Amino acid sequence: MVLFIVFEAVAIGYYAQSSNYTQAKLLTGSNRVVGGVQGALNDVRGYFRLGRENRRLVDRITELEEELAVYRQMDADSARKELLRAPGVKPYRMTVARVISNSINKEHNLIVLDRGERDGVSTGMGVLSSDGVMVGYVVACSDRHAVAVSILNTSFRASGKLAGDDYFGSIYWTGGDRYHVNMKELSKYASIGEGREVVSTGFSQYFPEGVLIGYVESYSLSDTQMAYDVEIRLAVDVSQLTDVILVDISDQDDIRRLENEAARQNR
Amino acid sequence: MYRTFPYIVLFVVVALLQVFLLNNLTISVYLNPLVYIAFIILLPIETPPVVVLFCALLTGVTMDWTMGVPGLNTLATLPAAMLRRPILASIAGKETLREGGVPSVERLGRNVFPRYVIAMVLIQHFLFFAFESLSWAHILHTFLRLVASSAVTIAFVWLLARFFLSKFTMRK
Repeated sequence: MVLFIVFEAVAIGYYAQSSNYTQAKLLTGSNRVVGGVQGALNDVRGYFRLGRENRRLVDRITELEEELAVYRQMDADSARKELLRAPGVKPYRMTVARVISNSINKEHNLIVLDRGERDGVSTGMGVLSSDGVMVGYVVACSDRHAVAVSILNTSFRASGKLAGDDYFGSIYWTGGDRYHVNMKELSKYASIGEGREVVSTGFSQYFPEGVLIGYVESYSLSDTQMAYDVEIRLAVDVSQLTDVILVDISDQDDIRRLENEAARQNR
Repeated sequence: MYRTFPYIVLFVVVALLQVFLLNNLTISVYLNPLVYIAFIILLPIETPPVVVLFCALLTGVTMDWTMGVPGLNTLATLPAAMLRRPILASIAGKETLREGGVPSVERLGRNVFPRYVIAMVLIQHFLFFAFESLSWAHILHTFLRLVASSAVTIAFVWLLARFFLSKFTMRK
């Protein structure tokens, strides 16, 4: 009985102190052992889903996304026009990865990817589906693998807005349905409507502005009558992910931070 | 004296089943069966509680490590292991505890064995999903996850028990 109480107390204590980060660290550790087999099993699945063809398309999409990002950036921020015109400078760094394992049946779902630090993947990179839809962000990396918090994780948080609108809200998953997420605290002045596109804002440390999240399925005013609670139909079926795009906006974050510092000093 | 080898095989089978098949189920967000409890359920009835406890610890820690959920599987499995003996005593009677044997339909009967499996699975699944959620806000989701996942786990345990007993000739 004493032994049981000790073991149980240690387990509860360990679980209580855990976070997405510790979970992801544990998973990167175990993937050193089981990752190879998981990868092999996924290869078989990939064959049946014409994975190779898909990957070729993903590479092409990545190139196009990078090009598009250059144009978006030039259009959105005229102050950086000259910088972006310099050869070889891109606002975001992108790479592709294969999904090794991806759960949807837990409250804290994680996505394990076959690229790690040696491939240039780092924590804080945004994870997009092959067609550029938000699906998560990287929280831990080993040499050969990376673990990302899925958008289907009750700890996932991102800010979203209606495309073409400035009001923003907080995106989260309730754990009830793999096809929907919710957005709360969207101002009641937002021009909301069913079917409106929901995209990422420019405040994120993980995602560039304008990344598609999903479409408004339903909405209602919150109890305070000051903001909308929105149900969003995801633009991607997360359970079917085979290849993903990793996007690193840390350079942009640096630029933004430096701009803010400069502005503060000039005041 | 039971052979240890069949139980090592059983442990490996349930671990592989859990890690490579059931952890990657993408059928529904409500389906997260935890079949590794079969290893604890099928341990010989007369196994000393301290051995059952250590088996539960080994199983829980292994699953925590492979699933990336520090402590959750362990904290759900340990109480089920601890309550195994009282459950068997109350459902099957103290005489059965003394006689021992591998828990099965043949050994415990068509009424007792399912009740024993259901009780063990429900205790472990309830603790797992309650601690995973840690919130009353989505109590309905948690309840649905508990019911759906437990049903699938019970079916798996049933199949594993039949497979285990047919493949390894042991005293039933």
